[in-house]
Amino acid sequence: MDKKINYREAFEELQQIVVAIEAGDIPVDELTQKINRATLLLDICKAKLMESETEVEKLLLKLEQDQDRSTAE
Amino acid sequence: MPELLDNKTVFTLSEVSKSIQKTIAERYKSLYWIKAEMNKLNHYTHSGHCYPELLEKKDGKVVAEMRSVLWKMDYQRINKQFLAFIGEPLREGITMLFQAAISYDPLYGFSLKIVDIDPSYVLGELEKEKRESIFKLKSEGLYEANKKLDFALVPKRLAIISVETSKGLADFFKIIQGNPWGYKLSYTLFPALLQGDKSILSIIKQLEIIAENFEDYDAVAIIRGGGGDVGLSSYNNYLLAKAIAIFPIPVLTGIGHSTNETVCEMVAYKNAITPSELADFLLQKFHNFAIKMDQASERIVRASRGIFQQENGALNALVSAISWNCKTLLLQEKSVLKNINLDLQRYSKLLIKDDFQELQHIERIINMANPIHLMRRGFSIVRVNGQAIHQLSQVNIGDEISIQLVDGKILSQVRGLQEKEKNNG
Repeated sequence: MDKKINYREAFEELQQIVVAIEAGDIPVDELTQKINRATLLLDICKAKLMESETEVEKLLLKLEQDQDRSTAE
Repeated sequence: MPELLDNKTVFTLSEVSKSIQKTIAERYKSLYWIKAEMNKLNHYTHSGHCYPELLEKKDGKVVAEMRSVLWKMDYQRINKQFLAFIGEPLREGITMLFQAAISYDPLYGFSLKIVDIDPSYVLGELEKEKRESIFKLKSEGLYEANKKLDFALVPKRLAIISVETSKGLADFFKIIQGNPWGYKLSYTLFPALLQGDKSILSIIKQLEIIAENFEDYDAVAIIRGGGGDVGLSSYNNYLLAKAIAIFPIPVLTGIGHSTNETVCEMVAYKNAITPSELADFLLQKFHNFAIKMDQASERIVRASRGIFQQENGALNALVSAISWNCKTLLLQEKSVLKNINLDLQRYSKLLIKDDFQELQHIERIINMANPIHLMRRGFSIVRVNGQAIHQLSQVNIGDEISIQLVDGKILSQVRGLQEKEKNNG
């Protein structure tokens, strides 16, 4: 289920957790749960972001090559 | 001798005629120069003798008439003189000065025996006739009539008055058919006598026939040649000259002679003098037209080329304008794309970087909030019956409590409760 969550949803959930933590009204036991959840979400977000980064790098490289080719023409 | 019959002296016819013959012979002993118009020549080709009819007219009326005889030998001699001197044979219808003997023959009656004719007088008469023809045509306003006609631009259809066997006609055709430009003309031959007295009516008759269908022709050509300069005085004839002058289409003459120009030639649209020159005149007309055609076609070609060059130039200008504008447009678009590309690289990386920073920030906060870190610093979690407590009210003395540390828990019992001192500050 967690693997299917997208970056935007994961990020929003993360932010909610941060806001809750910053508010300081989470019981300690719940906090541990939240932190575990947040750690998972962070991993997901990082992975997705890295994935996106390599994808974008690839696309940009392709774009650059296309442009070089059309200029050569 | 006369005989006496009833007291009358009776002569025989021969006695009377012999008496008259004797009287006339004694009275008219010499030869006389006589001026008279020769109405008819009456030349008998079999015997060679002529029996000219002589006339004298006054105000158009015959006031004297006499028969005459011109023996073969005299006729031949006189005719030779005429041909040599005025280029004309002895012909009728003209006033002559001649020398004659007056004679009477019992059998043939009274006649003048012509022995000589003065050619210079006849020449004067011929000149007079010519002058009169010119004068009459001029006073009738016909002298220039044929010259004033419009000449066909290309005289292709010719009515030719000539004789098929004429050397002049052969010369004419030789030049027309041999022209190197290939000009062709169609013609109809109207045969006629071309010299001597009889040519006048003969030519007029053919002119009349042509006139009936004159729209079928561009011009009439009278062609003669090779016949020498003899018998051309007919071309000074008033009637023939008039027929030519008033003809509805141009008449061209190529009569071919070396003597003075005749009246017919004067009034014709164009006197080419010889048949060859007549042919050249016609070819020149064709040529003038052909030259104009050539010039016109050259001008058309030049003008067309000019138009094509102009249009080509305009098209080329358009092509370069289109090409230049397209290139500029493409360059502009390329530079826009390049900028977009740069922006894309810059901003997409930036965006990802921002996201990473955000995630790091969140990570830090999460880490900071993790109770494990707090426990490492000496904090611990106290639980009663598995419930974490953060207030004194949650525990009672004697309660069993567990104290959570990083590496395990301590099990203990509450011995006392001590409330935090209230401070006023």
